[in-house]
Amino acid sequence: MIYDEFVTQIEGHGKIHFEIKNNKVVEIRVEIYEGSRFFESFLRGRKVDEVPQMVSRICGVCPVPHNHCAVQALENAMGIEVSEQIGMLRRLTLSSEMVQDHALHLYMLVAPDYLGVNGLTDLYSKFPELLKKCIKIRAVSNRAIEIIGGRAVHPINSIPGGFAKLPTRVDMEKLVKDFKSIINDCIDTFNIFANNYLEFERETEYLAIDDGVNFPLYAGKLVSNKGLGVEAGKYRNYIKEIFKPYSNAKFCVINGHGFHVGAIARINLFKNRLNPIAKDLLNTSQVKFPSDNPFYNNLAQAIEMVHYVEEAIKIAEELAVKLKEEERKKEIKAGTGVGVVEAPRGTLIHEYTVDENGIIREANLITPTAMNTFNIEEDLYKLLTININKPKGELKNLAEKLFRAYDPCLSCATH
Amino acid sequence: MKLKVAIFDLTDCEGCEVQILNSKFLDRILENIEFKYFRLGQKINKWDNFDVAFIEGIVITSHELELVNKIRENSKIVVALGSCACFGGIAALNNFTDIEEAKKYVYGENANKIEILNIKSLPEIIKIDFMIRGCPIIPEDFERVVSDLLAGRIPREHTRPVCMDCKSKGIPCQLLKGNVCLGPIAYGGCNAPCPSAGMPCDGCRGPLEKPEMSAELDLLKKITSQDDIIRLFRRFVPIAPLFKEVAGGKL
Repeated sequence: MIYDEFVTQIEGHGKIHFEIKNNKVVEIRVEIYEGSRFFESFLRGRKVDEVPQMVSRICGVCPVPHNHCAVQALENAMGIEVSEQIGMLRRLTLSSEMVQDHALHLYMLVAPDYLGVNGLTDLYSKFPELLKKCIKIRAVSNRAIEIIGGRAVHPINSIPGGFAKLPTRVDMEKLVKDFKSIINDCIDTFNIFANNYLEFERETEYLAIDDGVNFPLYAGKLVSNKGLGVEAGKYRNYIKEIFKPYSNAKFCVINGHGFHVGAIARINLFKNRLNPIAKDLLNTSQVKFPSDNPFYNNLAQAIEMVHYVEEAIKIAEELAVKLKEEERKKEIKAGTGVGVVEAPRGTLIHEYTVDENGIIREANLITPTAMNTFNIEEDLYKLLTININKPKGELKNLAEKLFRAYDPCLSCATH
Repeated sequence: MKLKVAIFDLTDCEGCEVQILNSKFLDRILENIEFKYFRLGQKINKWDNFDVAFIEGIVITSHELELVNKIRENSKIVVALGSCACFGGIAALNNFTDIEEAKKYVYGENANKIEILNIKSLPEIIKIDFMIRGCPIIPEDFERVVSDLLAGRIPREHTRPVCMDCKSKGIPCQLLKGNVCLGPIAYGGCNAPCPSAGMPCDGCRGPLEKPEMSAELDLLKKITSQDDIIRLFRRFVPIAPLFKEVAGGKL
């Protein structure tokens, strides 16, 4: 039997292709046929201040990480050090993005899998309270990005050296209040997604960034459960991009094998750094982390929603008393710099070379989904092999459910 | 009878679809329209005769070229959703580069395995009935078009420059601050999010029908270099009508 259809309810365009002969899985392909837009190519020749807004167009679902990864890489390239409050504002927008994006994925894309409904319209007619919860959580987190970045989809004013316009202490007070109003909804989200996962395990390598203090979010070393611990700038020595003829997006490997980034990787590696409420929830959970079950990525996302709301409240509370006006640093210097952030789907890497006029000369971007795809193929092989006797329709659903659990973004993967 | 609607996405960032999901009235939208085809939002997607098809993104592969023609054949009304569909969007920047070199830069020795068509806007490929502009669109525009179509009205667009949005919000003028801004010639109705956030307008909704192009260019030349002006027009809608010439270097 051959299965070859596009996958619904994911960002971007891809197919899962699998072939079973004589009761054996003989072929697995994640075919990402999203068109290539050649971002790395056309970024060359652009000015540094244009880049963060341009790269946010890679993904309308997670534009903030692309923006913030670019500003970090460009600041590293030009030797700019930003103030503590700029770093805090970036952590705040990234936290907000995690919340809105995880809510979108869990409620709007994943929930239909578990509730046995077709999609958004059924979700609205049969489980309106779930959709309302999702809308409420996303309205607050999107509004936070808008207050700081100027707009939720494709933030505007975050550029190397800081922000074109800073929010006020009053804005921060409002954010504290708003985020407090959704913490219980996020705890409910955890309860909704607490169990009912498929039993499946496959050992793999989990990778995330580590700044030495915080739960992964903005900047740090690249670390893994298999002993990796390297400066972000040296990523090319470890993460290799490979081309497969059936996909416009490249696949990534470490030492020739797949690895996993995203919520489950962050929690597997750094669950001890979660904020208190999220940590308590994790401790009460029947599911134990670290876990090798990729379906638990959805549960990890639900835990993270609570964590990042707590994080947003913590940061906004501090900024509400100490945020002050500052001049944006606008130095231009030649150099090469790497930026790393945690996007909702996992570790994101941007690298730029800037010349003495502030013009981009080289660009390289590696997105979380590109990092995950090799691992997804390895998981699919095992998942289908152990379920080989199930009917065709069920195998198709299993494969899609696994793919969706990773929260893949094929617009990002290809860019 | 509910409106039979399809939402198609071609190659792009899907931010305009996210803006639909960001609508305050998402529940009312779901109540009043029947999604026959909505890949991002549901499992079962069937071809039918659609009352309205929204198309987001750009035609970058031959598969997508076939797809948009099929959509047109099967739809009473086709709406271009967002500036990628309306104007070719950011990926049209590839039209200004040596595409073979670009392929090699990104894919190295596998360059010849990647397909990319010369980017065109959707109206250059198929007949479009309406446009919802913006990179990204604003949810309010989608809500307005849907409610017009539900009521049997013809959707109309704002025909005012972004400057009007700034004035009505009391936003300080970016041009007066000495920054390069496309506000005077750019299609407004967006509530000027960029100037409101301290950045100039880069005209993501495309040009007004009859903008004062030469006056704008004279002004920009006083502020900045030719290269910077070209960069400004070559950003989110580089092949939009009128912008295309300046983006191509004709100043």
